[in-house]
Amino acid sequence: MRATQVLSKGRSAWKVPNIVALPIVRPKAGEKLQPIRTQARSATILPNFVGLRFQIHNGLVYHELTVTEDMVGHKLGEFSPTRKRFSYKRTANK
Amino acid sequence: MVLLAGINMDGAQLAKLALQSFYGIGPSVSQKLLARNYIHPLAKLSSLQDKQLESLNNALASMKIENDLRREIRGNIARLRDLGTYRGRRHAMGLPVRGQRTRCQNSSATKLNKVDRRG
Repeated sequence: MRATQVLSKGRSAWKVPNIVALPIVRPKAGEKLQPIRTQARSATILPNFVGLRFQIHNGLVYHELTVTEDMVGHKLGEFSPTRKRFSYKRTANK
Repeated sequence: MVLLAGINMDGAQLAKLALQSFYGIGPSVSQKLLARNYIHPLAKLSSLQDKQLESLNNALASMKIENDLRREIRGNIARLRDLGTYRGRRHAMGLPVRGQRTRCQNSSATKLNKVDRRG
């Protein structure tokens, strides 16, 4: 079992997972967890992110996400969709 | 009639092709299976000795084929969907998952990409 492959799914091991320095602030006891606002969509979710809240930019708005254990190894951007679903609207005046 | 992994197979067909009729075994895996169990690549099923058949059946039993494999694939897709990832969403929409174009030529994706994937 290659340990590096768990974190970097399909990515070359020599590149190491894309680790981005995020302003992670651990809340003190009794304080509320503040979401981390970021535009680093390509940042890999590391095991120490579990339980943190993120606000991930999609180009327009920030989507909120609470990281769970399953998400480790994915990218932050995978959880913040960038495209709107197409829906047909009939033009009013014709 | 020859029993392979609990399924009755026509003895007149090639062992290579009989193996390929299982979901999860293609040309290369079937070739490797034959080589590992000392079977000629062009041997017919009926010509196999009991010993060869037994070792082949043991190898098949230890592999993840047919419904086990389908269940695993379905589980993987369901996991992506439940996490709320982009890939899971693309599966649910029946569209290409890995950034291929969708203007035209996406029939494979519409056929295969489903949350409850069949094949």
